[in-house]
Parts: sequence; structure tokens; C-alpha cells
Amino acid sequence: MSESVEPSRPTRWRWVIAIVALGVIGVLLAIADIALNAPWLGPVSDIVVGPPVTFGAVKERLPGSDRFERTKPVQTFTFVSPFKPRAPISPLQGLRALLSNGAALIFIALAVLVVFPNQARIAVQRLESSGGPIIAVVAGVVTALLVIAALLLLRFTLIFLVLVPVLAAVVLAIALFGIACVTLAIGRLMQTRLRFGSVHPLIAALAGALVVFDLVLIPYAGIVALAVVTFAGLGIVTLTRFGSASGWSFRDLNW
Amino acid sequence: MTDQPGDLACARARVLIEAYVDGDLARTDPDLAARMKVHLADCDDCRKQYQQAVSLPFRLKALRAPQPPPSLLTNVMHAVRPERGESRRAWALLIPEAALVAFIVWYLSGLDGLASVASGTVSDLQVLLNWGVGAAQPPSIPVADVFLLAALIALAITAAYHLAILSRLSAPTLREHRRA
Repeated sequence: MSESVEPSRPTRWRWVIAIVALGVIGVLLAIADIALNAPWLGPVSDIVVGPPVTFGAVKERLPGSDRFERTKPVQTFTFVSPFKPRAPISPLQGLRALLSNGAALIFIALAVLVVFPNQARIAVQRLESSGGPIIAVVAGVVTALLVIAALLLLRFTLIFLVLVPVLAAVVLAIALFGIACVTLAIGRLMQTRLRFGSVHPLIAALAGALVVFDLVLIPYAGIVALAVVTFAGLGIVTLTRFGSASGWSFRDLNW
Repeated sequence: MTDQPGDLACARARVLIEAYVDGDLARTDPDLAARMKVHLADCDDCRKQYQQAVSLPFRLKALRAPQPPPSLLTNVMHAVRPERGESRRAWALLIPEAALVAFIVWYLSGLDGLASVASGTVSDLQVLLNWGVGAAQPPSIPVADVFLLAALIALAITAAYHLAILSRLSAPTLREHRRA
């Protein structure tokens, strides 16, 4: 964006090392999730990490088939877990989690910041104000309650029933925008607290997105991290009226 | 007035007087500013107008700014600070919201009931779409008790009021505004 964010050479390396380290941690946490079978995450584990590899799915090559068996390398690098409950340790499945869900999170966060830079700045500034994160999480919970109440009320009508998927889509968009703002806020926090130095905001957001991805993959506690990040994102976008400068002002109605 | 001193018509010079007094003309068009100077030296009427225009900023500059009282900043900060009661209310509102959620979940026979409402909504939407294209009968409106509807409306109103309080609480302070 501006010239002032051009990082110096040592600063740039610090960011590169941090991003690579966060990616490696993400893969390791995904492997841990698969190996532990992440009972607390339940179905969320399958959604975020992907299905564990089942042994013996492809035992024999079909006669006359010369094609490359795609599941074979995955099975070659899949090991029996020494922990109970026994689930496979699958490094390639861990990498798959990073390259699918992790990459999607990064792309969404960066796309939102590129398309709505001003709105994201206002939301992140509010998140960085004193008491901002706590207020955002509480506002996210309250927004979720408001949405649930509205959805249930719409469900008991016939005409407005068609608005249910529209409202759900709007809430999903708000949550994604909010999560992107949270990733940028985390990146900026790394910049100031860990003294990583100034860097392009999208690089900071990328690092922040990897932190969010790693937090979500922590076995047992990941679901809590996911909920906190989602509520904080939902809350901060609601409080700032999708990052508008005027916020919730009714001055225009009072003419 | 008609002889156009400084090669500038009086009508044009009077339009430019404000910009000349503010110094904008000298910055944007130094040549025109020089011609304006020559015109003012030769034209009595325009010079009179110029003196009237220039006198107001000079008079304002000559005014002394009153010394603010030492308590001004403290009083302003106190006035713009969110009330402590509002902060307490923001937390206290979670109690009625939790009570309403508990009532709604209990009324719908727990989380399974909520899940069945969600699945029923999806199937009703499909029926509604089919009815829209004339392929099916309209879906029947689900029976809802007035208690449930009242609780849902109460939850929506409480949550909206709660969000309004949180929005005021999270508004950036004067110092944060200045830092931004």
C-alpha cells in the first residue's frame, strides 16, 4: 500500500521464518488431531482436518490398470499410532489440512482485506481499542442469539420463510469478514508485541490467518478457539456496522 | 475602473480578492497575483475592497485566546467517558438472555428439538420452492405456541438493546481517536 511498509531485509526474514514455522506447526497439529482422533472436536475434526486415512482401502492394483494410485503414497506415509484410541498418524493428511482449509482461510482473509480495506481498518481499530476484544466476543454471542431468534421467528411464517437462507448467508458473510479482520488484528499484534517490524498488511494478515488456523487445530481446545474467533469477528463487524465510519448512527433519519 | 490598471478588469479583480488575501492566488498563480498587486496599487475602489477583506483576518489574529481552566480536560474526559452503569448493564443483560435461551431450548425439547426445527425449515423451504413453480401444495405453517413466540421476540429485543449498549461501550475514546 504505502511505501513506509516496505520491510527491511532482517525484518523480512523474521516474517518469513514466522510464517514457515506457523505452517509447520499447523501440519503437526493436524497430525496430532488425526492421531488423537480428536474426540472433543467430533465431526468438526473431520471438517477442519479431513478424514483419517483408512488402511487397506486400495489393496491391489486393478488388472490392466497402469494408472498412478493416488492413495498409495498417502498410505505409505501413514503409520500406526502408539496412542489410544488408535488412529493413524498421517503426515500427508496433515499437509492436506493446511493446503485445503488453511489455504482457504488465508485466501478468504486476504480477499476480504483487498476488497474492503477501509471497512477492515475501522473494524480492526475498534478491535484494538481498550477492552475491544472482550466487547467483540460478547457482542458476537449476543448477535448469534439475535440471529437465532430472528431465524426461529421467520421459520414460523410462510411468506418470510424464504428469507431464512438469505439471513443465514448474510451472517456467514459477516462472520467471514470478521474472521479476516481478526487475522489482521493478530498480525498487527505480532508486529508490535513481538517486534517483528513493519511489513505489508497482507503479510501480517497471512501470519494472523496461520495463527488462527493453528489455534483451531489444537486438539480438544480447538473448537473453543474457533468459537472465540468467530464470535469476535461476528461481534466486531456488527458493532461497527460492517466497518462503516459512521457506525450505528440514526442522524440521517432525524432531518 | 474602465482603464484596467495592471491589465486586469475590476470585475475579475474583485472575484480574486478573497484568494489574494488568503495567499492562495500567490501559490497557484504567481503571475496573476503580481498583476493583482499592480491593479490594487492603481485602482482606488478595488483597494478599498481589499482593505475591508484584509482587515477581518487581521482583527481575528489580534484577538487573544482565553486561557482554558485547568480542569477543562478532566471535565471533558469525564463527560465523554462511558458510564460505569452502562458497563454493568452490558454484563447484567447476559442473565435475562441466558434465561430466555434456556426457556426456548426447554420449550423446544432441548437441542434435538432445535435440530428438528432446523431440518423442518429446510424441508419446508424445498416445498415452498416447489409450490412456487406449481409442483406442490404450499407447506403448512408450523404450530407455534404464543409463549414461544413471545420468548423469541423478547430475546430479539433484549439482544438488540444489548448490542446498542455494547456499541456505545466500544466506541473509541478521545485518546484513541487522536492516536488513529
